[in-house]
Amino acid sequence: MTASLSRIGAIISADFRIRFRRVSTVIVFLFLSAFAYVWIPAPSTGRTLIQINGQRAIYNSGAIGLGTASLGMIFVGLFGYYVISNAIRRDVVTRCGVIAASTPMRSGEYLFGKFLGNLVFLATFVCGFMLSSMVMLAVRGEARLELFIFIEQYLLLVPPAIVFVSAVAVLFESIPWLAGKFGDVIYFFFWCTAIGLVVANETTHGRMNWARYFDFTGFGFMIGQLQHTLHTESVSIGASSFDPTKPAIIFQGLSLTPEWILPRGISLLTPLLLLPVAGLFFHRFDPVRTGRISGKGRRNWIGKIQNLFKPLTRRAVSLLALPGRGGSFIGAIWTDAALTFTLFPFVFVAFVGITVGSSIAPLAGVLPIVFAVLALIVSDVATRDARAGTTASIRSISRLRENYVWWKLGSTCLLSLLLCAVPLIRTIPHGPLALAALIGGIVFVAATATALGVTTANPKTFIVGFLTFWYVVVNDKGANPMLDFAGFYGRFTVSSIALYGIVSVAAIVIAQLLYRTRLART
Amino acid sequence: MLTIEKVSKRFRAGNYGVRDLSLEVRSGVIGLLGPNGAGKTTLMQMIATITRPTSGRILFHGEDVVKRPNKLRRKLGYLPQDFGVYDNLTATEFLTYFAALKGVRSKQRVMEMLESVNLHGVANRTVGGFSGGMKQRLGIAQALINDPELVIVDEPTAGLDPEERVRFRNVLSEIGFGKLVILSTHIVSDVESIATEIAVMKNGALLTMAPPEALLRTCEGHVWQSVVSSEQFDQLRTTLKISSAVRKPDGVHIRFVGPSPEIAATAAEPELEDAFLYLMNFADAGSPPMPA
Repeated sequence: MTASLSRIGAIISADFRIRFRRVSTVIVFLFLSAFAYVWIPAPSTGRTLIQINGQRAIYNSGAIGLGTASLGMIFVGLFGYYVISNAIRRDVVTRCGVIAASTPMRSGEYLFGKFLGNLVFLATFVCGFMLSSMVMLAVRGEARLELFIFIEQYLLLVPPAIVFVSAVAVLFESIPWLAGKFGDVIYFFFWCTAIGLVVANETTHGRMNWARYFDFTGFGFMIGQLQHTLHTESVSIGASSFDPTKPAIIFQGLSLTPEWILPRGISLLTPLLLLPVAGLFFHRFDPVRTGRISGKGRRNWIGKIQNLFKPLTRRAVSLLALPGRGGSFIGAIWTDAALTFTLFPFVFVAFVGITVGSSIAPLAGVLPIVFAVLALIVSDVATRDARAGTTASIRSISRLRENYVWWKLGSTCLLSLLLCAVPLIRTIPHGPLALAALIGGIVFVAATATALGVTTANPKTFIVGFLTFWYVVVNDKGANPMLDFAGFYGRFTVSSIALYGIVSVAAIVIAQLLYRTRLART
Repeated sequence: MLTIEKVSKRFRAGNYGVRDLSLEVRSGVIGLLGPNGAGKTTLMQMIATITRPTSGRILFHGEDVVKRPNKLRRKLGYLPQDFGVYDNLTATEFLTYFAALKGVRSKQRVMEMLESVNLHGVANRTVGGFSGGMKQRLGIAQALINDPELVIVDEPTAGLDPEERVRFRNVLSEIGFGKLVILSTHIVSDVESIATEIAVMKNGALLTMAPPEALLRTCEGHVWQSVVSSEQFDQLRTTLKISSAVRKPDGVHIRFVGPSPEIAATAAEPELEDAFLYLMNFADAGSPPMPA
């Protein structure tokens, strides 16, 4: 028993250290904390964190606690999965898992240790976010900090999401066909469905009351309790407009009413049932089951489907690669952009899809989807060399060695412009400012993807950061012009275009400085 | 001590990684030699309980390791091929992690192991910045932390510079005393000075298993040396099985193996490299192991 606990403790401790020493963790944390600042606007801007029937809730511990806890809940529930779903895969890739499998450690201990490692990481992350959110009371607060009420909001909303995400990540990583990008996509739809169910239940006043017991996301509880406490359905959370002529009201936060005790308890504990299921599928690093048989690389089925597209895309890719011949820096940029199509034939399919979709559908409806797809595609460009181990080879090429960041930025920009060619053409009639906003948005995506990719060598940093931002932008629907970074809703201004231009330049300059510092060290 | 009885590993595609392999070893350093794809890694993974044999039995001290893997795991040290590290952990933290998984709680033992592989000076540095040799030494430290009876190291010298290889070889020969060490490699010089027995594999089958001296005897009378011109050498390298070639002022001094010399040549004293080359090219894969 003691040996078991010691092994589980060692797994938790190692995972904790590995994750918290990563630059990407720090960046995601800073990004989320900065988001709390946007999420809780100054009332003088005409926007507020919680709006109830047009009235704004004053910024006390209940309101700021609930507002930031809901942001934390969204982060954990959706993006948390993508942050933590690499614990077992890391052991497969480094082959440390093979060593672990050759020890007396039981598979159950390993999976439970990984689950707790995920849980401790997310809980610590949220605790850090909660502490930094308390600072918002000093910045925007209109009442003193009531610690218990503030913490209570987090305790009521976030724990089931943490347990659920931690368990699902272990389950998906234990099943080889769910361990990769397919699992990432499945999880996204699963999360959306889970939210849809519980929200539908609360808005229809409990027609599917069983859904409360599976409210892992916390949305059902939040909506249900807000309706119950405030006796209204007109509530919005997160940087929404309010009527300044109406008096502000005091909202003391959520509390756990008796009818919610059992549903919250079950939502918290049910995900634990996924762990034994994970145990049934766990490969214990058997190379036959993980597909890492020495010398006989076995492709997963996504790889096989990609291979099916190769004959279709080969000719187009060979044409695309033509301008890259010649050895110039521009040629190198072109070659790297074309490599994305060679590596992932799906990108070519996405290109065709974007081109057709944006030719026939209204641009405002298509652009957000185009940018979400674009983010997933370009996240790979600046990180693939480090992951494939080709960095040293690239650094042996003098013009790429010194200008690596610019090379990757050029490649990402070129790829993005190519994918967005039709939306760009369709924006021209809307005037030069609209075109500038769209180009600015594309450059912003390319610059931040490059900067975060070069800095962290992990595509998930950008994916998580950008999709969090994208989620807020799409939900804002252009209400805040400063969030309309690519002109999705036509609410952009010269200031907003300039802001994203400055952010893009700053991101690249910082990345270049960091890169040069690292280069000098090596 | 370790008995392998007619073990086979058949993959889903139908091909065999290892086929009907049997051997018995007691203690010392066993060199497992074979070209890439010979089945060495698959065999070692089966012994290390990482993957199960499709058929056959592996016994350690008479216990079936497939049925009761934990009995062996408590006494096992394993260093896999292409071993990686957690870049963000320090050497001490990395070793402490694997010590805990193996049920070793003594911090003193962790420090002793770091010292024995000469990494105590960098114990608090993150391992991401280690050289390939340092990482391999850390790998062998984790393999030995539980004082195992059976140590399995798979291609441990791949990618190491000559100095690191010699150092690694020395570490292995030191630990070999009183234990059973199985070391796989396709580089003959890795095992020729430290192995007490050498097993040669090809196409998933065991060609032979014998002490180095007996292995040398298998190619006695089949090793030849000659001096040829550069032009002749370019032609001969495709027809002869050349084990070494050195360019000197009087021509290219070649050593080659074969049942007969085929060109003007004199018999040479066999070396292990010659014996390996001879076995690879002139022994039948799948035939019963040659007598020691």
